[in-house]
Amino acid sequence: MTVATSNIVIETTAHSRQLSMRQTIAMAKRSTIELARQPALIAPSMFFPIFFAVLSASSFSKTTAIPGFPKVESFMQFALASTIVQGVLFGSVTGAAALATDIENGFFDRLLLAPTTRTGILLGRLAGSALFGLFQSAFFLTVLVPFNAPISGGIPGALVMVLSGGIVSLAIGAIMSSVAIRTGSAEAVQGAFPLLFVLLFFSSAFFPRETMSGAYKRIADINPISYLVEGLRALVLEGFTFSAVVRSLLVPTVICAAAILFALKELRRKLAAL
Amino acid sequence: MNSSADPIVAQNLVRYFGDVKAVDGINITVKTGEIFGFLGPNGAGKSTAVRMLTTLLRPTSGTATVAGFDVAKHPDEVRRRIGVALQDAAIDPLMTGTELLRLQAVLYGIPQAHMKTRANELLERVGLTAAADRRVGTYSGGMRRRLDLALALIHQPTVLFLDEPTTGLDPMSRMSLWEEVRRLNNEGTTVMLTTQYLEEADQLADRIAIIDAGKIVREGKPQDLKAGVGFPTLLITVPFDQTERAKAVLATFGDMRPTAEGSLGVGLRGGVTVVTDVVRKLDEASVRVQHLEINEPSLDDVFAEATGHRLEGAKA
Repeated sequence: MTVATSNIVIETTAHSRQLSMRQTIAMAKRSTIELARQPALIAPSMFFPIFFAVLSASSFSKTTAIPGFPKVESFMQFALASTIVQGVLFGSVTGAAALATDIENGFFDRLLLAPTTRTGILLGRLAGSALFGLFQSAFFLTVLVPFNAPISGGIPGALVMVLSGGIVSLAIGAIMSSVAIRTGSAEAVQGAFPLLFVLLFFSSAFFPRETMSGAYKRIADINPISYLVEGLRALVLEGFTFSAVVRSLLVPTVICAAAILFALKELRRKLAAL
Repeated sequence: MNSSADPIVAQNLVRYFGDVKAVDGINITVKTGEIFGFLGPNGAGKSTAVRMLTTLLRPTSGTATVAGFDVAKHPDEVRRRIGVALQDAAIDPLMTGTELLRLQAVLYGIPQAHMKTRANELLERVGLTAAADRRVGTYSGGMRRRLDLALALIHQPTVLFLDEPTTGLDPMSRMSLWEEVRRLNNEGTTVMLTTQYLEEADQLADRIAIIDAGKIVREGKPQDLKAGVGFPTLLITVPFDQTERAKAVLATFGDMRPTAEGSLGVGLRGGVTVVTDVVRKLDEASVRVQHLEINEPSLDDVFAEATGHRLEGAKA
């Protein structure tokens, strides 16, 4: 079906799938442009993880000799995976806060006024987060690998790590977008950030679970961030094995699928309440 | 699709927010090619009504059809046929005018081949060609409103909703936007305009509905509504301690009318010819008149007569 309004012909159901894809891509492009034009906003998520990696590599280099610590070339090699996860955690908050800002300032209404699929509005925003996650992951590897942090999985392993970083970014972006949709407040999204930081701290991001004990270990054992980091770390330390690839992609994919479903549910709930 | 030829029809439209009844059973019929003004103070329910008519809010009860489609049952059909410029001109400040127009074009399913031409046409139409590649954050309030209008027109809608399009604009920008609205209307677009500015409604609208506390209290052509109020209003300012004496005198010449604080108003039953009598009587009652003015009936008088209070921002 097409709708003619004066001399403009509007594509509708005849190409609805293609049109939805075009709309989602356009919205992903917008969120990417937005991020690129706010360097002050994205710089912390690019440089703080590098700073933490360098600091921990110089401070904890001797911890690699502790019994239970995996065999590594350097602490930097061990920290490679956690740097990616840390960076995309920070970066995803920025994307979700931008969604909340759209809700606050009325731009979201402009999107709702258009004859678009509602899921496309959210998926477009999340696709922007995922692209940023891919970029961040590639950036961290490019900067840190030369500092005695080789990836045993080689270039294929590095590519899977970048892909996994993108999926993690999508997953965290979806979780934080749920907060954005529910509260409609950029402050609330930023306020939820410390919770992510605590989750990261109580995971195996900075030290292997084998070296932990007590409550710290029990929390790390059930903390999903531990499994995200360990999947990526397997590609760094074990090589490009089937098990490492599956672990690095499966965990983030499962979390991502659940998070996107939850975010879409939140969006439907919000729209139903209008 | 509803066979009704009228582009906007609302029947007994009601919207609650919790216990608050924001819109209380309004009925509106807007004819093809009209500019319909929806006039009322802040919080009267104008924007809520527009949000229901543009599918952004579901009515609690009642029905509405826009461009022939029920807003609740066929929202996408309505969205394809309407253009909307909302109250706050919510435009992403990080994007350029061109980028936003192209995004809007994709959202409305305009084929890639037509996007550039359409965006350029609209930028020229609203006088933003020179600023097209600048970020919107650098635009003035008037430029943002004009871009907002261009965005609303991307798919050549048959019905255009403008929610307080000139709030916060300087007089020049306001006049320029009015001109554009008239031009669009002359080209056949039906326009529903909400405003809190009396002059805007008076200048632009073929018909207006006055809304207060969620209810339509008057509806008709501006000139008919003003004629309905009848008498001119005499406004005077007197020293505070002489207010009661002045009121007693004025009441003998007609019904007292609500005014801004510090002044008194009376609808002169005898018309402007009795003004000298009023002044003489006030003098005899030892009331010192500090200021005096006579106003022919205005939409503000219509509003005051219908609601018992003056419209906020009436002088803006």
